Amino acid sequence: MARDLSKPDHLPNLRPGREPPHSSWLPLQRRGTTPQMIGRYPDYDVFDAAGSWDDATAKVVNARLHMPADLHFFSAGEVATLRAFCDVCVAQDGEPRVPVVEMIDEKLAAGRLDGYQYADMPDDRDTWHVVLAGLDEVAEGRYGKATFAACDPDTQEAIVALLAKAQLSGGSWDSLNVKRAWSVCMRMILAAFYSHPWAWNEIGFGGPAYPQGYMRLGPMAVREPHEKPEATKEDPVSVISQDGT
Amino acid sequence: MRTNLLKGARAPKDNESRFLLDVARRDLPGEDTMRRYRTDDEVDLVVVGAGAGGSVLAQRLARRGWRVVILEAGPFWHPDDDWVSDEAGSHDLYWTQKRVIGGDDPIELGKNNSGRGVGGSMIHYAGYTPRFHPSDFETLRRDGVGADWPITYADLRDHYVQVERELPVAGQNWPWGDPHSYPFSPHAVSGAASITWKGALACGIEMRVGPVGIVNGTFGNRPHCIYRGYCLQGCKVNAKASPYVTHLPDALAHGVEVRAGSMAVRVEIDDATGLARGVTYIDEEHGKERYQRARVVAVCAYSIESPRLLLNSISQRFPHGLCNTEDQVGRYVMVQGATQTAGRYPDEVRMYKAPLPEVSSEVFYETDESRGFARGFSIQTIAPLPIGWAEHVLAAGHWGRAMREYMRDYNHWSTVGVLNELLAQPDNRVTLADECDQYGTPVARFDYTLCDNDKANMAFSANVIHGIVIASGAQDVLTIRRFAHLIGGCRMGTSPEDSVVSADHQSWAVANLFVADGSVCPTQGSANPALTIMALASRLAQRLGSRKVDPSGGSASRLAPVSGSNRR
Ligand SMILES: Cc1cc2nc3c(=O)[nH]c(=O)nc-3n(C[C@H](O)[C@H](O)[C@H](O)COP(=O)(O)OP(=O)(O)OC[C@H]3O[C@@H](n4cnc5c(N)ncnc54)[C@H](O)[C@@H]3O)c2cc1C
Ligand code: SF4
Repeated sequence: MARDLSKPDHLPNLRPGREPPHSSWLPLQRRGTTPQMIGRYPDYDVFDAAGSWDDATAKVVNARLHMPADLHFFSAGEVATLRAFCDVCVAQDGEPRVPVVEMIDEKLAAGRLDGYQYADMPDDRDTWHVVLAGLDEVAEGRYGKATFAACDPDTQEAIVALLAKAQLSGGSWDSLNVKRAWSVCMRMILAAFYSHPWAWNEIGFGGPAYPQGYMRLGPMAVREPHEKPEATKEDPVSVISQDGT
Repeated sequence: MRTNLLKGARAPKDNESRFLLDVARRDLPGEDTMRRYRTDDEVDLVVVGAGAGGSVLAQRLARRGWRVVILEAGPFWHPDDDWVSDEAGSHDLYWTQKRVIGGDDPIELGKNNSGRGVGGSMIHYAGYTPRFHPSDFETLRRDGVGADWPITYADLRDHYVQVERELPVAGQNWPWGDPHSYPFSPHAVSGAASITWKGALACGIEMRVGPVGIVNGTFGNRPHCIYRGYCLQGCKVNAKASPYVTHLPDALAHGVEVRAGSMAVRVEIDDATGLARGVTYIDEEHGKERYQRARVVAVCAYSIESPRLLLNSISQRFPHGLCNTEDQVGRYVMVQGATQTAGRYPDEVRMYKAPLPEVSSEVFYETDESRGFARGFSIQTIAPLPIGWAEHVLAAGHWGRAMREYMRDYNHWSTVGVLNELLAQPDNRVTLADECDQYGTPVARFDYTLCDNDKANMAFSANVIHGIVIASGAQDVLTIRRFAHLIGGCRMGTSPEDSVVSADHQSWAVANLFVADGSVCPTQGSANPALTIMALASRLAQRLGSRKVDPSGGSASRLAPVSGSNRR
């Protein structure tokens, strides 16, 4: 069943409980890789334009496809909860995954922070340790599980919802401002996830544009030759013939 | 008519930067052959910070024969290799050393408002370059709030004109404030910005294209903007103005040394004369403390670091920090409210194309008593890239699957923001935190709390842009509160009891110590500050260069003519 994308009825604000529709309404990705192979641009791959990127940019973007697997900042005991937490925060419930955990670990290990620390907060690096410990405490105290990672996905989501609403207290949570801890973690998770070219494929972002630049600014034409129209879950045959391929 | 014929043809005087740049390479020309001064050589001027204010001051005075060294904490950029067309990859452009933020409404710093490196914050500023209004210089007299400057708009007018030609600024004729035109024609309007414009018209709100410091056409060896939308990540094209392309090439050609990787930690005072004798800095490459002698010192490190440097400069005469005898250093720091509203539209918009600054309005700039608060705000279109958009969606309360859904809808959205004038308050202030940086220097702490007038202004303006977005046919709306732009901290005034420097940027306490950056502004209006900061530095240079200001502290020997010209 195809949805009319000119309508906004898939947007959480306009739906009961601010819940998005299940991702099954989205088309399967045919061309570029996307996280979990879902997206709105099944025939788009930002790498189709990679030949026109400058070397410095290409190097930075390509490095995200080859993140080293070993972690340096987080301890072995933290990793399972860290992975589960990052998965819930950006809804990565399957492969292929953007390596959010590896990207954050690299940044924290290198001490690349944002340049400010709230007066009622520890250093961002300590905040991460406290949040992970706090998530495990909630899993144990409220749900009787050994760790956050051991909870089922719905429970994990419920715990993160409490964190997002700053409704966690006691234990580790009392050592920081919970609302700000959420923003410290999310800022870093989002910067990792949406810096990855797979996420650009998912959202149809045109990607780096130097030295080439963009020529079609709208309002009449909005797509460069390498950018592709969006689609819902329709018949792939009609899309292909529309494309002239 | 005549002004239109001259579009793109009015060249700035006394600044060859645009011709010195290389067409094929982005490096600052002249770095290899740059003049170097010995640290024990008493130069005419040492400038702390190669940003908007410091670069203009150095360029102007070098042309008058002054021997100038700029100490810059950050790197000497090589844009071809160092800058990327990528949001996360641009992290090094920002001031990311630790700062502590507090108060009831703590202001996030870093990428949001502070740069680090040769060229300063304008390397990654958006590029809006409006003038302040004449009223901004006398808000206390006119509206009973804020402060009056010790200078007026008329004192800056010629410098605005000159700097607008140097950047150069592109935009429609400007009807607000002191009406004026711009040297370059307005840029093409993107589909995203035209949606906002249409909505504004439907609400009876006039908007105009620009003003932006972005080349439209060609300007010497600087090319036309290629509409790639990465203005906040450093313009790899050289189309967007920053001191790196507008003033430093000419400065280097006139013998200025830009000493990068040099973090100033103390302005040294001669306890006998009470005058500044130079600046101690950390040579980052060698991890060593060094000391540069100078006849005059200008602190141009912006609103957080300038107060920090002064407060950390302890001496016998100034046990509470340099120029801080009256407890004024670091006070009256201001930001602007920058609420952002995004609307969703039926067709693809792809807001990431075109420069991020496009169309703006100053209809609401001045006080209108019927609104119930003093002063006002401006409206400007903006266009977040994916990470910026994700932060917007997060601030609107979405994460997880809802976040992914809104993100996938990115190409259907367009964004507009405001800049509220927020009022100067003594306790919105930079002090020293308990924590030190890696060199043992205490870091800055910045406390910020909104007052009732600020809150009323922000609430009113949020309604206005919400109305615009609805009138433009939006199907869903996401509004978030944020802040932008720093100003104040070492403000200029008429007496040491209420300010740090005089109308000539001269510190009250030390005759040969000047502050020439955003921190001197007593108010900020609803205009983005960079153009004004440059115009102020341009004025100061004129006054210093023509001996209207005496940095000698009255001692005759120090009045001796500046060392001979060293033009090459
Ligand atoms: C994301 C963003 C968007 C912006 N958008 C706009 C806009 O659209 N329009 C606009 O007008 N303005 C904008 N601004 C603001 C504008 O860039 C600044 O107001 C302006 O550059 C400030 O000029 P300045 O000379 O005071 O300081 P800066 O340009 O910040 O220069 C200060 C320099 O001093 C250096 N420094 C600091 N401490 C030391 C030390 N101890 N020793 C040595 N060096 C030191 C810093 O590294 C820096 O290079 C924006 C800023 C940001 C960050
Ligand atoms: S849009 Fe234009 S001004 Fe902005 S970064 Fe690109 S080329 Fe430079």
